[in-house]
Formats: sequence, structure tokens, C-alpha cells
Amino acid sequence: MKKKLSEMDYNEQGTVTGIEKDLRKRVAGMGIRVGKELRMVTKQPIKGPVDVVVDEAETSLGLDMAGKIVVEVTK
Amino acid sequence: MKLNTGERWDLIDRISKETVTFGAYRHTLKDAIGELTVKPMTGIPVAIAVMYGFWSVFGSFAGFFTDGFFVRLFDAYWLPWLQEVFPGQGEWLYAIMVDTGGIESGEFVLSSNCLESFGVLTSGLFVAIGVVLPAIIIFYLMLALLEDIGYMPRLAVLLDTVLHRVGLHGYAIVPTILSLGCNVPGVTATRILETKKQRFIMMTLLAIFIPCGAQIGIMQDVVPDLMGWILLYLIIGYFVFGYILNKIVPGKAPEFLIDVPPYRRPLLSNIGKKVGGRVRGFFVVAIPFVLLGCAIVGVLYQLGVIQFLGDTLAPVFVGWFGVPKETAGPLIAAFLRKDLAVAQLSAITMTPYQMITAVVLVSIYFPCVATFAMMLKEGWKELIGSLAVLAVVVFTYGGLIHLIGILLGVA
Amino acid sequence: MKILLMGHPNVGKSVFFNRLTGANVTESNYPGTTVDYTKGWMKIEGGDVEIVDVPGTFSLDPKDRAEEVAVAMLHENRDAKVISVIDASKIERGLYLAMEIIEEGYPMVIALNMRDVAEDKNIVIDADRLERILGIPVVSTVAIAGEGIKELVSRLKEAKPVNVDDIIANAANASDTTGAADAGGAA
Ligand SMILES: Nc1nc2c(ncn2[C@@H]2O[C@H](COP(=O)(O)OP(=O)(O)O)[C@@H](O)[C@H]2O)c(=O)[nH]1
Ligand SMILES: [Mg+2]
Repeated sequence: MKKKLSEMDYNEQGTVTGIEKDLRKRVAGMGIRVGKELRMVTKQPIKGPVDVVVDEAETSLGLDMAGKIVVEVTK
Repeated sequence: MKLNTGERWDLIDRISKETVTFGAYRHTLKDAIGELTVKPMTGIPVAIAVMYGFWSVFGSFAGFFTDGFFVRLFDAYWLPWLQEVFPGQGEWLYAIMVDTGGIESGEFVLSSNCLESFGVLTSGLFVAIGVVLPAIIIFYLMLALLEDIGYMPRLAVLLDTVLHRVGLHGYAIVPTILSLGCNVPGVTATRILETKKQRFIMMTLLAIFIPCGAQIGIMQDVVPDLMGWILLYLIIGYFVFGYILNKIVPGKAPEFLIDVPPYRRPLLSNIGKKVGGRVRGFFVVAIPFVLLGCAIVGVLYQLGVIQFLGDTLAPVFVGWFGVPKETAGPLIAAFLRKDLAVAQLSAITMTPYQMITAVVLVSIYFPCVATFAMMLKEGWKELIGSLAVLAVVVFTYGGLIHLIGILLGVA
Repeated sequence: MKILLMGHPNVGKSVFFNRLTGANVTESNYPGTTVDYTKGWMKIEGGDVEIVDVPGTFSLDPKDRAEEVAVAMLHENRDAKVISVIDASKIERGLYLAMEIIEEGYPMVIALNMRDVAEDKNIVIDADRLERILGIPVVSTVAIAGEGIKELVSRLKEAKPVNVDDIIANAANASDTTGAADAGGAA
């Protein structure tokens, strides 16, 4: 099932299938890219940022950014 | 030849497939703590506990050394000794260097403690060494621990939501906390923010609302009961004016994107080096300015300039801010050193609410000279903008605090 | 000669810097501290070499002023050599930045730092093979323990610019040989 990263639930995992073009370069340095496995660790309340783990590296990104990343949820 | 983002990742995937094997990853206790301290349900209580702990240790450590040791050393030995051996009692040099003294029933009397004497070698040295030194050492020690363990990025994540409302983002906590030690490195650290707008808002808020470690240290010492009120007014100001600035300053306030590194065991040698370096850096700037500030205010008193300013500005001070006109002196000293200014305020008789107002005014009214120079280095246009905001804030907020006092019936 | 220490924040650049120069600068575990860069000197084979601890950056597309400083320093020093410090436990994103710098034609050696952390995470990296594919020295290090630093310094002279096409070709060849080896094993 495809979901935006911003809509994923705690501890859901999946594979990144799409990143909006203007964001691709910005998140590249953090190792986030199409084809990568990621896990959603937590989000902060009231439109706060989303924490994800990619390759055992944790990154926190704003909710709007997370809305531009699409993930095929596997579990 | 250059690759685009996709091509580069494809190549790296291929290389990684050839050279790296990822074994089964076992989660460790460190990972578990890492997650617990970033999840809101557990992370926010932990953050509050950490901040509270920081504050308690800061207060008791600084108090222990200042009250337990330095106050006695300076008031019981240093001051009487200097009053005795320094030549020319009652003359202007004596007044500036050692003791301004006071007139009681027509006679010149010496001050009984280092906060009232106003001399360069008495008040100046006492503030710098007796009050500020312990405060700064414990502050930087605890900050270094938090940094090297890796807690700061997690605090940034937890605070992002609120800080985003004032046009900043979670990372703004780094310059903010650094400024609680000294505004100068705080201003430098604004560079970790993305846009001009964010850096401008941050720098302005720092310069206005964040008291430095030296100032907090002296406030703890001379007005401990009023700390809660003073800090509350400063924190409210930080968010209210941040919110307004976010609305009126043009430009973008992008969201944050940060790496959250794993917790690490701090290296003791590293902490030592870092604290040593920062304390030294602080003192190279602080000591000369405290002493110079003391001397300048002393000279201005002797020349009658302060009395003149106090009289001229009395309508503003008394009518608008509701504080005694004598606060003009400390406000001038505040440009050089805010710690010194607070120490001087404490020697003026006024009501507790007037003291709260006066200390808040000293905090917000102008950045100290070192911060001023640092802001100038970051750009003169921004500096002028910040100063314009500052002027507005001092008048509206200062007046508002007075008004609140009137409404509460305490002013 | 000038050497730039470059890499993400928190990968150990400052520890390297201190070990190489013995200078009195501070290291720290959170990004945002090393905004003002530090310079120092060391002797290599009798000559004085300048070393710069460049602020951490995740890529050459700066996302804030600190990263801008890092990129500007790289571009101001066209004739510098780069020591690319990579956290071995996060090798892929580290290679991303290293590739960007290689593509700009800088001679480089790679320090695969935090080998101890990678080992704890069961990540095994074939440094020799990585070296053959990239065509530049790759040295495994544990900066806090001083492991691998001597080798890194001794191999600085092998740093040279490489063509991305060669790396792509090497990567393809490498996968052919593994393919062949696997096939051989199966037969
Ligand atoms: N376990 C381990 N920790 C390291 C190693 N190298 C550096 N560190 C630690 O990693 C943290 C970040 O190092 P630092 O030099 O400040 O990183 P920089 O941001 O790249 O300058 C510090 O706490 C170092 O003690 C290493 O090889 N192994
Ligand atoms: Mg560093």
C-alpha cells in the first residue's frame, strides 16, 4: 500500500517509491532516496516533524517535506 | 563529468553491493533510549526533567561558590583591605577604583559590601570573578555534556513545533541555549539556520530576550526571589515578538531537516578542553569590559552625567516604565556589561515589581558591546533592522509590563 | 600544500584534525558547533602542510550558511587535496558526498572512520575492493583510538583526481567478477 511519509504510522516500514523533484537533492545527503527502505520512528504532535530511520541513521524532517515523499508500506 | 542525483545513487548502490555486507542489526539499549527521548510521550517529560536539572545544578553550584566563598572573601577581606590601603579616600580616583561611598548625616561613610561600593577593583572584580566565573563554568560544563552525549538534536526535534510558529525551527534551540552562556557565540551559531529571514529573527530575539550566563548568575545572586517573574517575561517576549516578526519580516521560513546522531559516551578530555576554551574565550572579553564598564560609569557619576541623564529621562523612566530615575546609570553600564548593570540595580532602593521591570529592561534594552560588534560582523543592514525592532520592543514591552503591574496593583 | 578535511557533521573530522595537528581545538558531538573553521599545520615528509577542518556538510548543495561555508571553502581551494571522512556505519550517504567531490576533480583519500561502530552494527566493508573501484586510497580508521591515521597520512601522496567514467567501469567489472565467482562456486 502506498502512503505519504507524513501519513505513516509509528514503526511502519516501507520502501521509498517517489520524492518530489524539488526535494530530491535536499534529502539526498541524508541518504533518503527512491528505492531505500525506511522506518517511521515517531512524529511530533501539532504538525511537528517526522522522524525516520534509513540505514540505521535517524533523520528528522518537517511535516510538509514528509508529505512530498511516497512510501510503499511493507509492514 | 558530473552525475545527477539519481545517477549518483545508482552508482553508489552498485559500489555498495560490491563492497559492503550488512549483517543482522541488533538493537541496543542506546537505540532504545534514543527513541524514547525523541518520542513525544516520553521525550517531552524527559526534556522538562533535563532542563529542570540543568537549572537546579546551575543555581546551586553557582550559589555555593558565590555565597559560600566569594562573598566572604570579597566583603570581609578584600574590600576592607583596599579601603584601608588605597590612598586618597573621598577623592575621585578612590571613588572610581575602590568605593564611591555614601553620605550619612552629612558624613562620608564607606560601603559595607562589594555590590554597593561601585569601584573598579571592588564591584568590578567581585562581579567578574565572584559571581560570573562560577556561573559560566558550570553552565559550559553542563552544556558540553549535553552536546557531547548527543542530546541537543533530540531537544531540537521536540521543540520544532513551537519554534516553527515563530518563523524558526527546532535547530534554533542551539543558538538560543548557547546565548544563555554568552550572546556572542549565539550570534555566530545563527548560521545553522537556512534563510536570511530566519537568521534575522533569531539574531534579533537573541539580542533582545536571551540573558547571558553572566547576567543570570548575578540575578541569581542579587534578586533570587524575582527570577521566576523576570524569566517569564523574557520567555513570553521571545515568543510573542517572534510570532510578530515572523508575520512582518519578508522571506521564507523553511522547515527543518536534521540528522539525529546516536548517543555517544562523552570523552572527558574533550569536555575539559571545550569548557576550558569557552571559559577562557569568555573571560578575555568579559574581564576588560566589566572593569571598563565600572570605570566609565564611575567617571560619568563623578562628572554628573548620570544624574543629568536621570533627570532628563525621568518622565520616561518614572512615567512610562514605572522605575526610579536612578536606573539611568545601570542602563548605561548595561551597554558594556549587563551583569554589572544588574549588580548596580540591586543597590538602588525600589519595590520588587520595579526591580522586575528594571531587570527586564536591562535585559532587553540593548545588546552588550561584544554582541553588538558580533552582529555588525554578520551584516550592518540586519543590525540596523534589529535595533529598530529593539527600540519598538523596549517601549511597548516596557510600558506593557508597567501596565500589567498597575492592573495587578503591584506597580 | 593544503588539505581539506571534509565530511558530514559528527563523523570525526575534528578528532582527525586534532590528531594530525595536535592543536588545541574543541571537538563536539553536535552539528552547529564547528561553524568557524579551524586551520592547523603538520609536517609530512619534512614539508609543512596546511590542514583545514571544514564545517560538516551533507552535500555540495548547501542547505544553510554553515554548509555554504563548507562548499565555498572547497571551491576556493581548487588545488587542495581532500580527506573525505566517512562514518563507516553510514557509508552510502557518506559516499554520496565523496562522489560529489570526486566529480569536481579533487584528488582524494577516503577515511572510513568509526570502524568500531560499524563492526558493532555487523557492517563489513571490503576497503581494498572499494579502493580498486574508486581508484583512490581507502583507509579504515578509528580516529578516537588513533588507528589508521599513520597509514592515512602515508597514503596522501597517492591521492589523485579520478574520472567518474572509470569508476562506473570499475564498478561494472567488479560485479562481473563476482558474478563469475558465484557461477564458479555453483558449478
Ligand atoms: N566510536 C567512535 N567514535 C568516534 C570516532 N571518531 C570520532 N568519534 C566521536 O564522534 C564524535 C564526533 O566527532 P567530531 O570529530 O566532533 O566530528 P565532526 O563533526 O566531523 O568534527 C565525537 O564524540 C568523537 O569522539 C571513531 O572512530 N569511533
Ligand atoms: Mg568538527
